[in-house]
Amino acid sequence: MYKNQHETTPNRKLTPMSAAEIVVAGLRKRYGATRALDGMSFTVRPGLVTGFLGPNGAGKSTTMRVILGLDAVDAGTALIEGKPYHSLRHPLNHVGSLLDAAALHPSRSARDHLLWLAHSQGLAARRVNQVIEQVGLTSAARRKAGGYSLGMRQRLGIAAALLGDPPIIMLDEPFNGMDPDGIIWMRGFLRSLAAQGRAVLVSSHLMSEVQDTADHLVVVGRGKAIADAGVADLIAAASGNRVALRTTAGTHAMRVLGHAGAAVAATGRDTITVSGLPADRIVTLLNQSAVPFSEVSAHRATLEDVYLELTRDAVEFRAATQSEVSR
Amino acid sequence: MRLALHAEWTKMRTVASPLWLLLGTVAATVALSAVATSVVNCTARGCGGDTTKLSLMGVYLGQAPVAILAVLVISGEYSSGMIRTTLTAMPRRATAFAAKAITLTGVVAVGGTVAVLGAVLAGRLILPDLGDQALSLADGPTLRAVFGTVLYLILIGLLSLGIATAVRDSATSIGIVLGLLYIFPIISGTISDPDWQRLLQQIAPMSAGLAIQATTDLHSLPLSPWAGLGVTAGWATAALLAGGLLLRVRDT
Ligand SMILES: Nc1ncnc2c1ncn2[C@@H]1O[C@H](COP(=O)(O)OP(=O)(O)OP(=O)(O)O)[C@@H](O)[C@H]1O
Ligand SMILES: [Mg+2]
Repeated sequence: MYKNQHETTPNRKLTPMSAAEIVVAGLRKRYGATRALDGMSFTVRPGLVTGFLGPNGAGKSTTMRVILGLDAVDAGTALIEGKPYHSLRHPLNHVGSLLDAAALHPSRSARDHLLWLAHSQGLAARRVNQVIEQVGLTSAARRKAGGYSLGMRQRLGIAAALLGDPPIIMLDEPFNGMDPDGIIWMRGFLRSLAAQGRAVLVSSHLMSEVQDTADHLVVVGRGKAIADAGVADLIAAASGNRVALRTTAGTHAMRVLGHAGAAVAATGRDTITVSGLPADRIVTLLNQSAVPFSEVSAHRATLEDVYLELTRDAVEFRAATQSEVSR
Repeated sequence: MRLALHAEWTKMRTVASPLWLLLGTVAATVALSAVATSVVNCTARGCGGDTTKLSLMGVYLGQAPVAILAVLVISGEYSSGMIRTTLTAMPRRATAFAAKAITLTGVVAVGGTVAVLGAVLAGRLILPDLGDQALSLADGPTLRAVFGTVLYLILIGLLSLGIATAVRDSATSIGIVLGLLYIFPIISGTISDPDWQRLLQQIAPMSAGLAIQATTDLHSLPLSPWAGLGVTAGWATAALLAGGLLLRVRDT
């Protein structure tokens, strides 16, 4: 008999870090002339929030649909805990997903929407009330979902993803439409899911949210993964051993530091980025030459810098720049 | 399969439109039957025709809400994108589709039975007292006509479900189904050649299927009652196969 496992949520056993929950290998998919996936490969591991980033049309949503068995691929495999999705007997107990928050019958209430999903997995109605409470929809649960705001629909979609208490959670742009409170809630919520040992895959275009939430990143462009690494590593690599210098005597400082063998670049009105010299040496040199400065600090790249650098060649849809427009 | 059925039944009962459409079927069937039986000329010797068929005539109209209900069962999910949620919860597409078909069969059977019995009751009340010729379910051919009409409504529902699964768009599907039902009789009415007319009546889903309502003059019919219902069943089977096959192979 099917055993309800929800009482055990807080004590969920941590899966060994090595076992990948989602393994995507060599996915290829065309829609007519569009090459949506072109050798997409990556893994999603338990206990981590994996950010799934990439320009519009890079293939993030398509990859998620393929993982869920909704779209068929021309080549490659996508496995959940080693098995194809369609072979899972109670799939929502393995993977909770939210692809499109608008995919609801507008005149069915949130509670009834979750109820049919629960019934499809043999879950009790009690579980529906639990997830409604978990996402903070209790007061609106009996209203028609058609009248929900985008943020409320996102919450309902999250509730649906949690229904089967799955070890894998996959969300496509869950921050969309969330108010600031909702975003903060979502961040903490994703962190707590990973802390419980779940594998969490989240696509988003909001770099700051991903930077604060994700442990690991899969960056995709033109249908394939172009980076698959830890967030901290990527940021450290992009930061390099650079030092940011704030000074009003920019030209003088650049001449002095250039002489000492550093690579210098002006990055703002009164800021300079220096690489090739440690910070204490820079301070000494500037003092010796009597160059005024107000701040010397280790330069730290943001996830946005990393992302823009990685995807520079993979962006398919870019708005025309001012000069292109006027031409 | 049990879980898929439970889920589909929950979906069906948690929105208002299926209930309203079934009530529409009951109302339309009973109303048209009442009109038909009240305008017929009866004498003390009888009403000069097939009174069973006459009092079941309401399904001409009553089948339309059934068709719309069946279309919406699946095309409503395509228009909102909820089909993806359904197939994520029930990734075995044949099972998910079968669960929809069975649930639809159940609700149309209930709604159809109420509608058809209501029409017979209306006929009994409206037609003059015909003594031993009165409408009665104890009469073999009448019982067959009544039971067969419920089956007919179920088949129209399944035909519509199959078409809507293949077509995916609500308006287009409803157009195709209603066209299939009502345009055949119109075409056959404009054809003068009796052989062609007979052929059309033998293959059209509505005119063939409603042969199940005939209780008198059976040999003058283009085809026998059960054979006629068989033609409609053939249409429904073909539509279900086409829809089910496309559902299995297509991306969502
Ligand atoms: N059903 C479809 N039919 C035709 N083309 C499609 C279909 N789905 C996706 N595509 C194409 O495949 C490519 C990848 O789309 P996808 O939606 O996966 O990108 P994405 O990374 O999710 O983009 P976004 O960040 O804008 O959500 C795009 O070029 C898109 O136009
Ligand atoms: Mg997308």
